[in-house]
Amino acid sequence: MEIVVCIKPVPEAETRLRVAPDGRTLDPEGVKFVLAGYDESALEQALLLKESLPGSKVHAVAYGPAPRTEEVLRAAVALGADLATWVEGPPGVGGDPVAAARALAGAIASVPHDLVLCGKQAGDDEAGIVPPALGELLAAPDFGSVVDLRWDTSASRLTFLRSTEAGGERWESPTPCVIGLQQAWNDPRTAKLPNILKSRKATITKRPMESAPPGPRSEPAKFELPPPRTGARMVEFKTPEEAAQKLVRILREDAKVFP
Amino acid sequence: MSAPILVVAEGSDGRLGGPTLESISVARTLGGGPVIGFATGRAANELASDFGRFGVDRVLIVPNLGSDAVPVGVHANAVAFAADHVGADTVLFGGSIFGRDLAGHLAVRWNAAVATGVIDARRDGAIVEVRRPVFGGRATETRRLEGPHVVLAIRLHAFAAPSEDPGTPLVDVVVPPPVLPALLAPRRTSVEPSTAGAGPSLGDASIVVSGGRGVRAAENFQLVEELAASLGAAVGASRAVTDAGWRPSSFQVGQTGRSVSPQLYVAVGISGAIQHLVGMLSSRVIVAINSDPSAPIFRVADYGIVGDLFQILPALTAEIRRVRGS
Amino acid sequence: MVDFSLSADQESLRDLARKFARSDMAPHAAECDRTPRFPEEIYRKAYELGLMNLNVPVEFGGSGLKVFEQCLIVEELAHACGGMTTSVIANCLALEPILLGGSPEQQERFLKPFCAEYNFASFGLTEPSGGSDAGGLQTRARREGDHYVLDGEKCFITNAPHASLFTVFATVDPSRRTKGITAFVVPRTARGVSTGKDEEKMGHRASSTSTVRFDGVEVPVNDRLGEEGEGFSIAMRTLDQTRTPIGALATGIAQAALDLAAAYSLKRQSFGKPISEHQAIQIKLANMAQAVHAARLLTWQAAWTIDQGGKGTLESSIAKCFASDSALHVADEAIQTFGGYGYMKEYPVEKLLRDAKLTQIYEGANEIQRTVIARELLRRYA
Repeated sequence: MEIVVCIKPVPEAETRLRVAPDGRTLDPEGVKFVLAGYDESALEQALLLKESLPGSKVHAVAYGPAPRTEEVLRAAVALGADLATWVEGPPGVGGDPVAAARALAGAIASVPHDLVLCGKQAGDDEAGIVPPALGELLAAPDFGSVVDLRWDTSASRLTFLRSTEAGGERWESPTPCVIGLQQAWNDPRTAKLPNILKSRKATITKRPMESAPPGPRSEPAKFELPPPRTGARMVEFKTPEEAAQKLVRILREDAKVFP
Repeated sequence: MSAPILVVAEGSDGRLGGPTLESISVARTLGGGPVIGFATGRAANELASDFGRFGVDRVLIVPNLGSDAVPVGVHANAVAFAADHVGADTVLFGGSIFGRDLAGHLAVRWNAAVATGVIDARRDGAIVEVRRPVFGGRATETRRLEGPHVVLAIRLHAFAAPSEDPGTPLVDVVVPPPVLPALLAPRRTSVEPSTAGAGPSLGDASIVVSGGRGVRAAENFQLVEELAASLGAAVGASRAVTDAGWRPSSFQVGQTGRSVSPQLYVAVGISGAIQHLVGMLSSRVIVAINSDPSAPIFRVADYGIVGDLFQILPALTAEIRRVRGS
Repeated sequence: MVDFSLSADQESLRDLARKFARSDMAPHAAECDRTPRFPEEIYRKAYELGLMNLNVPVEFGGSGLKVFEQCLIVEELAHACGGMTTSVIANCLALEPILLGGSPEQQERFLKPFCAEYNFASFGLTEPSGGSDAGGLQTRARREGDHYVLDGEKCFITNAPHASLFTVFATVDPSRRTKGITAFVVPRTARGVSTGKDEEKMGHRASSTSTVRFDGVEVPVNDRLGEEGEGFSIAMRTLDQTRTPIGALATGIAQAALDLAAAYSLKRQSFGKPISEHQAIQIKLANMAQAVHAARLLTWQAAWTIDQGGKGTLESSIAKCFASDSALHVADEAIQTFGGYGYMKEYPVEKLLRDAKLTQIYEGANEIQRTVIARELLRRYA
């Protein structure tokens, strides 16, 4: 199976967020970018499928500026991706996710792809737009919030579980198909040191930046951080019962979260 | 006359769901043309009349999409057709998984600027300016969306339901063009109830009670579940709990689990690693119960109790039962 | 041209170590210290990720890293737990004599099967009668035809209870002092090899340490590293290679202490404001930061010198000595910043002090380091 995994570099979770000098976006200066969490799950899923289906290939595709996009592709290779394609994107952060989806779809359309895996959203913009937009652009069915994905060899179909507000839905689908993964039920693996060293020399296929076609635009205008939290108002008490009574009174009367 | 705003319905038992009601509120305050409803499926007619309850006087329906369960791309085809049919320039979706997936589709299919997770929206001439939380609620961004078309998916619980303004809407049945056969090939084989036990599911609950490492063992998790039951809340867990196998990973709130934004989030025995915080920071009120006064969770919580959860939880559950029972 | 920036390759290695340290080691550090426990599952994962045999060339199944890259990794690991780090890197010390003194045939025969699986090796130099006075060691090696017979006892041997291989230093003739010392490779399975009980230690409690006895152990001549009498040189050259990573280990402990103290100072209130706003605490933190920074740079420079082909004896001794003294001092100041809480086992800083202490003692006590530094120094003035 030819598996394409779309990955995105995002600021690591521990990043101390700061506003860029122009006030429009996060200040990317000094920020360490890593493979987005759900994308890591998607890559793990791709590697598990590859390991269970001999002859499969995993192709990591990413869109974004140097150097962070190239770095997450190398990280994907260190984890086990066979091929890596980098679609160069404009510098900075806060880009339009539809533009990202168009760039990724252009790259994916030109390579073999039975299955396209993505994280269901990225931890920075949390838009969740790329997987459904890819489905539309590639004219393939797509499913988001998938938590369990398998290949049914006898029926030549994907079977998967989608997590929904009401519970779960099991589906089966032929390929090609686009899947947005919510979470791997297996822990994403850690790259081994020798593979990291090998990935530094791996070939990354680079596709030049395409100028955006005229059309609808989504642009960042302002990036705000909440005022620093003052810390919790502590409930003082002598007995557990007193703590319970005081908290319930606060929740009803001050916070008004229930009657 | 400004172009209409199309509000796409989701509901169950023939009633519009909370996410759709919230989008009607947004449509009313956004400014622009009239609000037109849109509904699909067998319950489309009931949903259409429910739109009437909130003063929406025109609704387009597609009663038959080919099957009850079709990939979201099939819905996108119908919504795009309906939006063009009435000459809408804006389409609104509720803050559900369905709404968000559909928004991404429609952005491409209908050539629209799109934003999801919207907590504030206003029109400024040809531009729609939206605010939305990013980085797990650690920051808020404002984006300017420039059409011709704009698609918004609202963030769950960010808006109140609209006031009622009963009326009977004009309902039109529309027939979208057929979709590519490939889009109809996937099949839904079963629907499973929430694995999170009784009570509301994590994704749309207005109260969430989560347990962490401090609960110490799988069997103690019952204390967390009893508190949740007394509040009518969904049950969540930190990664430490799902990693230890005390509860399945579908309970996990955080960076690699669910993101929730309920009215009330109660964190029990959760230290507050950033990976957990990004999944719950945008909750309206956060309560932390932890024995360690230096736990980072207290820096983000609104209210804190430093104490032994094995004593506090039973007392709290009893007190809530007493108050709610009366 | 001097360049202190890390290459993308080096950063990716450091990221790996940091990720492993934070997600696999740190959550278990307190428990392994308290119990104490030798966390095999963590060491096994370290092996699987390629973090255990860092100095062994790739062709023998190791990671083939230079000393500088080893230091980047060791500092990150030690930030999470000094004790676990000692056990993870002990193979580097134990295998270095084979890299320095072994023939190509011996390297192939010993290193390949060893590195192909999760294994521990231990470096057997120190004896109950003395550690620093390596010339006076008592373990005897008597030649009998095609083999030697080893008799004696080694002590404070890291990982010994778990080791499958030992590099052992014994004398063929005590009267020849250092000129009699000879190095051997001894498998755990050799008859007459036994290890003592796990020592109860002040710190590094996730690591395991015991005595090793050799009672009439027969070692084939083929398993001798180098010639008779070359052992002392092999041991000293080994320590020249491994001393610098100990500086990195101490730097990691010191950085952890500084991180904890700085974060705590912003949170802890006294006299109506965070203690970070009191000048007494600011000066403390500034001094700690200077020590950590200097320790890291000295370590980097020593590693760079060795990687350039230099002997680096002076540089590595300065780095190890300064970094370990700094670690003790910074951990001490971190406890002071925490006040009474710092003295409590419930908080993580007192462990850092206990862990830091060992870095002044092992792999050449700091008194020996200072002797070496003075000797190297004075030679330039003589």
